[in-house]
Amino acid sequence: MLKKSKLLSAAIVATAAFMASPSHADTMGTPKISAMSILNGLENPWDMAFAPNGDMFFTEKCKGLSVKTGSGVVNVLGMKGSKGYSSSNGDLFCSGQAGMMGVAVDPNFNKNRRVYVASTSDKYHGSGCKTNFEKCDGNIVMRLTLDKNMKVTDRTDIIKDIQYKPFESNHPFGGPGAHNGNRLRFGPDGYLWATTGDRHRGVVPQSPKLLGGNVLRVNTDGEAHPGNKPPRGFDKRMYTYGHRNVQGIDFRPSDGRAFTAEHGPWQNDEITALVNGGNGGWDPRPNVAGRGDCPDKYCGYMPNQKEGMLPAARAAFMPMSDERFKDLMPPAWNNNGLSQGTGSAAFLKGSNWGYWEGRMAVGIMGIGFGGTPSGMRIDVVDIAKDGKSIKSVIHMPTGLTKRFRGLRLGPDGALYAAVDEGEIYKITAAK
Amino acid sequence: MRSLYFSVAIFMSFFCFNFAKSGDIKAGETRYAQNCGNCHGPAGMGLASYPKLKGKEVPYLVDRLKTYRAGTKVGPNSSLMIMMAQPLSDAEINNLAAYLNAQK
Repeated sequence: MLKKSKLLSAAIVATAAFMASPSHADTMGTPKISAMSILNGLENPWDMAFAPNGDMFFTEKCKGLSVKTGSGVVNVLGMKGSKGYSSSNGDLFCSGQAGMMGVAVDPNFNKNRRVYVASTSDKYHGSGCKTNFEKCDGNIVMRLTLDKNMKVTDRTDIIKDIQYKPFESNHPFGGPGAHNGNRLRFGPDGYLWATTGDRHRGVVPQSPKLLGGNVLRVNTDGEAHPGNKPPRGFDKRMYTYGHRNVQGIDFRPSDGRAFTAEHGPWQNDEITALVNGGNGGWDPRPNVAGRGDCPDKYCGYMPNQKEGMLPAARAAFMPMSDERFKDLMPPAWNNNGLSQGTGSAAFLKGSNWGYWEGRMAVGIMGIGFGGTPSGMRIDVVDIAKDGKSIKSVIHMPTGLTKRFRGLRLGPDGALYAAVDEGEIYKITAAK
Repeated sequence: MRSLYFSVAIFMSFFCFNFAKSGDIKAGETRYAQNCGNCHGPAGMGLASYPKLKGKEVPYLVDRLKTYRAGTKVGPNSSLMIMMAQPLSDAEINNLAAYLNAQK
């Protein structure tokens, strides 16, 4: 009997060792991951986009737009106070979380040389922006046309009225410039998708007219896609509404469906399958859903915004996805109820990714308040076909512990990652 | 001989005073890694909307941390900093200040 149990133990140990060995993982199709820094010394790099020839445009939040070409880096468009750029525009500024952020390259770039950039601007403040409690058109989407030397020959502002937070408020992360969204991606339909944030104003996400807490779908002139189906009376540019601060968006290769990755308020980072006209369920208004008054008319960090507390208790009071909305888009994943700074997303395409092909890579910056583990990482998420749940989530073994701000899949099949530490990494996968 | 005693006494009092005021850089680095680096970045380099701290003067850093610990608002991220500073002891504040001041 003893001999039999020893044999059994040996078999179990051998099996466990076999399962844990890299070679076994390789036969299962797990890609070998390696990460290499390709740009450093940057200031808050935020997003990247690739031209068909592999040139990589990238933004730095307080500096501007640049492009890494085969022959070096060209500084394309600077912001107020930027130096060393071939042109600069004084209306483009940065403050807090806001600045020059998302970038997308036109699908017909080889013909039209167009690049789209989301940025904070004071050009359209007009009579607004005098307080935090009024309309403030301070985030824009620009369409830039570049010549062959990467100089800007035309700038046309195609969206001018995305909301911006002009002043400090009584909240955590309460400085001006909070929650802008501002990720740009072209969808498989050839339309431009732009994300926006609630800008710390309670009425914004559920507002039919204020652009904030939405995913917008527009053509390259900034006009609404004719197929957008927001509720009656809503701005037709809205594909979805009721979000908090969408900074990750990409399209599932298998069916083209849009998914967002969103940063929760000390609870519940979310990945959500978008539904045309759907509601993200974020409603930080005071005096609704059983809540009373909140600091500066924004309940987003309540019920106790000055101390850590159980994320679940916070979520019960101020849900990221409030089920009282009939048009709610329920999240597929909520980061186990934690908020750690989900900031970007990119689906993995190409056989080099092995059985991760088709899964979503999610960049997490790491926010360690109130007892939440920081969790700087890239997750690889296998989302169910119906988009309502996930089948698995694992950490990508990049060997990096960084604030992952922006992810973008390159035309070479590598994943590019911008980190707040001032670098852009190329992450490659091989079977 | 009397002047020698006097000099030693002066030296010792100066040494002890500075030892009491200055923190332990290594201990500060350890404490910084527990919470602060998530936002302020490696060696206090500053990230995103979180300010650079490296190289700041010790009195400034100590004053700010004690101000936050007392629950007083200074700047837009005060709510966060008040929460983070409240558990800090005087020694931890001195250590953090010494560590950040030493980063160039």
